[in-house]
Amino acid sequence: MNQLGTRYVLGKVAGSLGSLAFMLVVNFFLFRVLPGDPVRTLARNRLVSQQQIDELTRTLGLDQSLPQQFLTYLQNTFTGELGLSFRYRQPVADLILDRLWPTLVLVGTGTLLATMIGLWIGVRSAWNRGSRFDKVSTGSSLTVYAMPEWWLGLMLLAVFSVGVGPLPGIFPTGGLISPGVDPTSLEGVLDQAWHLALPVLTVTLAYLADFSLIMRSSLLDEMGADYLMTARAKGLRDTRVRREHAVPNALLPSVTLVALNLGFVVAGAITIETVFSIPGLGLLTTEALEVPDFPLLQGTFLVFSAAVIAANLVANLLYAVIDPRVRS
Amino acid sequence: MKPLIRRPHRSRRPFAALTAAAFCLAAAWPAAVAVAAESPAADEPVVFTVGLLNEPDSLNPFLGIEAESYEMWGLTYDYMISYKAEDMSPQPGLAESWETSDDGLTWTFHIREGVDWSDGEPLTAEDIAFTYNRILDGGPESASWISYLTSVDTITAPDERTVVLELSEPNAVLPLLPMPILPEHVWSKLSEKDVKSYANEPPNVVGSGPFRMVEGAAGGSTFRFEANPDYWKGAPHVDEVVFRVFQAEDPAIQALKKGEIDFVENISGNQVDALEKEDGITAIMGDSPGFDEIAFNTGSVDLETEQPIGDPNPAVLDPKFRYALGFAIDREAIRDRVYQGAGITGSTIVPPAYPTYHWEPPEDVAFSFDPDRAGQLLDEAGYEMGPDGTRTMPDGSPIGELRLLARADSETSVDVIQFFSEWLADIGIESKVQAVESSKLTNLILEGEFDAFEWGWYVEPDPDSMLSYMTCGQRGNWSDSWYCNEEYDALYLEQHSATDQAARSEAVKRMQEILYLDAPYLVTMYSSIGEAWRSDRFEGFVPQPNPGGIMLVQYGVDNYLNVKPVAGKDTSSSNTNGALIGGAVAGGIALAAVAGALLFRKRDRATADDRE
Amino acid sequence: MSAGEAVPRLTARQVTRRRRRESARRTWNEFRSHRSGVVGLGILVVFVLVALGAPLLADATGLKVTAATGGVLEAPSAEYWLGTDDNGRSVLTLLIWGARVSLFVGLLATAISMVIGTLVGVASGHFRGWPSSVLFRLTEWFLVIPFLPLAIVMASVLGASLINIVLVIGVTSWPGTALLIRAQTLSIEERPFLERARALGAGHWHQMSRHVLPNVMPMVFANTTLTVAIAILTETTLSFLGLGDPLRVSWGSMLDDAFGAGAITTGAWWFIIPPGICVILVVLSFTLIGRALEEIFNPRLRRGILDETSKPRRRERS
Repeated sequence: MNQLGTRYVLGKVAGSLGSLAFMLVVNFFLFRVLPGDPVRTLARNRLVSQQQIDELTRTLGLDQSLPQQFLTYLQNTFTGELGLSFRYRQPVADLILDRLWPTLVLVGTGTLLATMIGLWIGVRSAWNRGSRFDKVSTGSSLTVYAMPEWWLGLMLLAVFSVGVGPLPGIFPTGGLISPGVDPTSLEGVLDQAWHLALPVLTVTLAYLADFSLIMRSSLLDEMGADYLMTARAKGLRDTRVRREHAVPNALLPSVTLVALNLGFVVAGAITIETVFSIPGLGLLTTEALEVPDFPLLQGTFLVFSAAVIAANLVANLLYAVIDPRVRS
Repeated sequence: MKPLIRRPHRSRRPFAALTAAAFCLAAAWPAAVAVAAESPAADEPVVFTVGLLNEPDSLNPFLGIEAESYEMWGLTYDYMISYKAEDMSPQPGLAESWETSDDGLTWTFHIREGVDWSDGEPLTAEDIAFTYNRILDGGPESASWISYLTSVDTITAPDERTVVLELSEPNAVLPLLPMPILPEHVWSKLSEKDVKSYANEPPNVVGSGPFRMVEGAAGGSTFRFEANPDYWKGAPHVDEVVFRVFQAEDPAIQALKKGEIDFVENISGNQVDALEKEDGITAIMGDSPGFDEIAFNTGSVDLETEQPIGDPNPAVLDPKFRYALGFAIDREAIRDRVYQGAGITGSTIVPPAYPTYHWEPPEDVAFSFDPDRAGQLLDEAGYEMGPDGTRTMPDGSPIGELRLLARADSETSVDVIQFFSEWLADIGIESKVQAVESSKLTNLILEGEFDAFEWGWYVEPDPDSMLSYMTCGQRGNWSDSWYCNEEYDALYLEQHSATDQAARSEAVKRMQEILYLDAPYLVTMYSSIGEAWRSDRFEGFVPQPNPGGIMLVQYGVDNYLNVKPVAGKDTSSSNTNGALIGGAVAGGIALAAVAGALLFRKRDRATADDRE
Repeated sequence: MSAGEAVPRLTARQVTRRRRRESARRTWNEFRSHRSGVVGLGILVVFVLVALGAPLLADATGLKVTAATGGVLEAPSAEYWLGTDDNGRSVLTLLIWGARVSLFVGLLATAISMVIGTLVGVASGHFRGWPSSVLFRLTEWFLVIPFLPLAIVMASVLGASLINIVLVIGVTSWPGTALLIRAQTLSIEERPFLERARALGAGHWHQMSRHVLPNVMPMVFANTTLTVAIAILTETTLSFLGLGDPLRVSWGSMLDDAFGAGAITTGAWWFIIPPGICVILVVLSFTLIGRALEEIFNPRLRRGILDETSKPRRRERS
């Protein structure tokens, strides 16, 4: 089993590397087909001469031929050099690192809460299938699932930030931290919690719906399994059956799905970042698209796809742990 | 019947845990609100917070291009010549006075004494010469600024208080030199290559301006500036200026209403209308020196061969046709329906905000909404109504459909083009509306694949650059109408090197007249910008232009020096309370988690006992 | 064997057709027992009727900015039941016509996605050797491209028009379907009737069109309804990000306008809540129908553990 396992793991890792290589190539050419000339956008509405435009073109490295640019890009990427942003003129890696934190906090906290609560609700409603709890939770999960999450964010913003009727708006309208507050101090941490409360709530609610539905159906599936019937027939206590057999077995595939989802959540935070003005990776991408800022777009895209590929790998490996059958 | 069996064991306690958490929040709520209402200690710094809807791109003046970046350089640095708030004419900055030689080829500036950099070094004429020479020497530094130094040969600082510019031919744009002056002792250490990616962010910023940047980074969302108490124009009345970047208008407005920010910039007419009714808030639509226009393809050509490229409809190549369409546009309707009543209906490419240069078309040629006159002019030019109710070319062939392009990213643009299309239909001209992204539109313009489109320009206090966009030399570059007229080009050169103001104004006005009658552009509106601020907290803004102008993001940063707290009013932001609510939220979640875990264990044990 | 015989002789084709009809009826009967599915269908029928009857319900000139009659953001009144938008148009009219665009985009994009997904899925499941692995790899690669950024890039490349939005959604959403169909195909390939067909010398085309496709079709159908839900949500999100067709009104573009016009701040709830509710209802109806169908066609599957369908993103959150 161990040998098989090693082979499986190696195969999956190789597959992931293949995907990454594919993304690297797509990454370069995808953005070159965007309409618009970065030089002109950057020089828009200014008094500029052809000489200045040439200077800018040279500075941005756009005077080279496309194959040459591609080679430079590959070379740089392999040496960990993501290039200089056209717009901000800062190393892309620095910009991404700066913006990564808010996105990670937002997505991380949101997903964590959504996983815990969602799985709990899923277990409960599956176990009590047909109960009022099941009906209410499944109904509301499906409704939230049908909501564009940015719309949900807008509604939360209207209620808790603007205030409705007698309800005062006690949460901020956007941003990550109050100006002048040291983010590493206790006050700073609490201040960030205050700023992120609504966006995190939005992410939590949106994914909670997905996760509880997934958990519910995996547990329902599991409950149909023979061994569980047997266990119950043998008179094992209900709670024990649930805690020791059904839930663990149903949990792992759900966690696998959560891991997979996480890869997409990172890229998916764009709209929530827009609604709550959170300076994260998603916003960085939309800003970069306006120019278009090739190196920056390549950088964020690489991060997004690397996240998905990594999540995929983790999910596949988890999968194998749960179900040895897939290894062969 | 499974549920029935399990039902007795279902505890309500998990809900109790949630209730506990809800209770925590509910308890924190009024407390937090109470704290928010509490007034601060008397020695709290006065913070003026401005909400921006676009972030600055670089704090390095050689690299950035966004208006927001200019604003921040303005706070950090000084200019040799600055703009007068009222009419944007040149006024003394670091240079106390200046003179020009009779031939207009030598400019001498006398520099103020006693101005220091934030690190204590004195600011001298050498710093100024250094900054300008850096631009003049080419390289990345020249990209943004070289145009202001056209025909300047040398810039020298013969002594600590004098800067001399030697020109090869007169340049009418001088003495406007809107480049921030940088400290030589810091920037001389940076090579051309270093400058290309130099961030110029705290804590390494050395400036001489009214404020000092203490927090913020390019692409970030918060920028904080502390007042420079020793500023040569006098210390600012506020202790700090903070910029907060919002990604959308609505949250910014909410922040203003809640008092999180004191000023919001660049908002829509609808929002201004709504905010006008709010207590303690003043909202205005300020005239901004820019215009929006419907532009035509007046003849796209390959610049090497002068052969036509693209496929403009032959009708729009005819100035008479274009001029006639000027009477088909109901500018008042555009103002009321599309611009929500804000702004001034437009006429020429130099806005009335610059009275020295603006030309007002006389009654007999001025456009008005008059479809009959448009039809009459079209008839006279040979575009007669055909039997099918559409007009034909003078040779009797059908005109066909005009392609009207709107910018997909601007609702205003789409609406104006839709109106235009319907007005054209009323006078018997068919058209098709297409909306494309701005970047795509730029490409289509360069390829000549269009008949008309909607866009706009900002016009600098000196109209030279705007006027240059309509010259033959700018075709394929900044000209978006492919307009080319020798008489116009000659006048452009004449005004560019004119040393006499009256003669220059005369030439500029004549140029506008030519454009008006040839109609490469049908100017629809002079733009206006919505701004709103907490007038219960801050006062002292002076509009630019005065009256009727905007308060911030002007040419120059005078209003950051003018703004002062309203006497006796609380001007601190409610930051500290956020931590309290944040703590309550985090605490509530933690408490709920602990309570939940405890109750879960307990319940399982209880259930187990029940069973056994 | 005379013409008057009581039991008519049926050709093979007629037998098949009858069998299909029979199974359709069975499906319908089963579907009727899924209450939530029926509710979903009910909601959907209402919206489809509204979309089809839009010209009867509201005059199309009400969509023109140039012909707007109301004031800016007027509250609901007897004349404008749901108030007016920032251009003075009736929100109700926009809502009715928006249903057309949203459903059109949802259905057409799904059709594209289904065609690509089914073709790739069946082919990669049916063929052996390198074509299968190439197609499978391709599917996996497309799966790791971050969907929303890709859609944004494609939308800006193609330009903002309704048909392009359809293309973007269709072309970016097929890999999930392909994996599902592939898994189904693989299991069908093991069945005896296919082996028999192969032994009888049936060509690839015959095998796929006569045996594989008809058998994966039910799953494709169930998956379709779920994909429509996602496609409609995606259209809404793209419009919200300003990438929709600016010349057409969809629920997404209404929400974008509402957000842009400050409906939240100015308290114009009638402009921001109704389009949101409509999106939720339509998406919900498709989801409910899809879930019911999934359970009918494949009760074992129910997005369970070994189900390849739940492996790809179940719902592209954006």
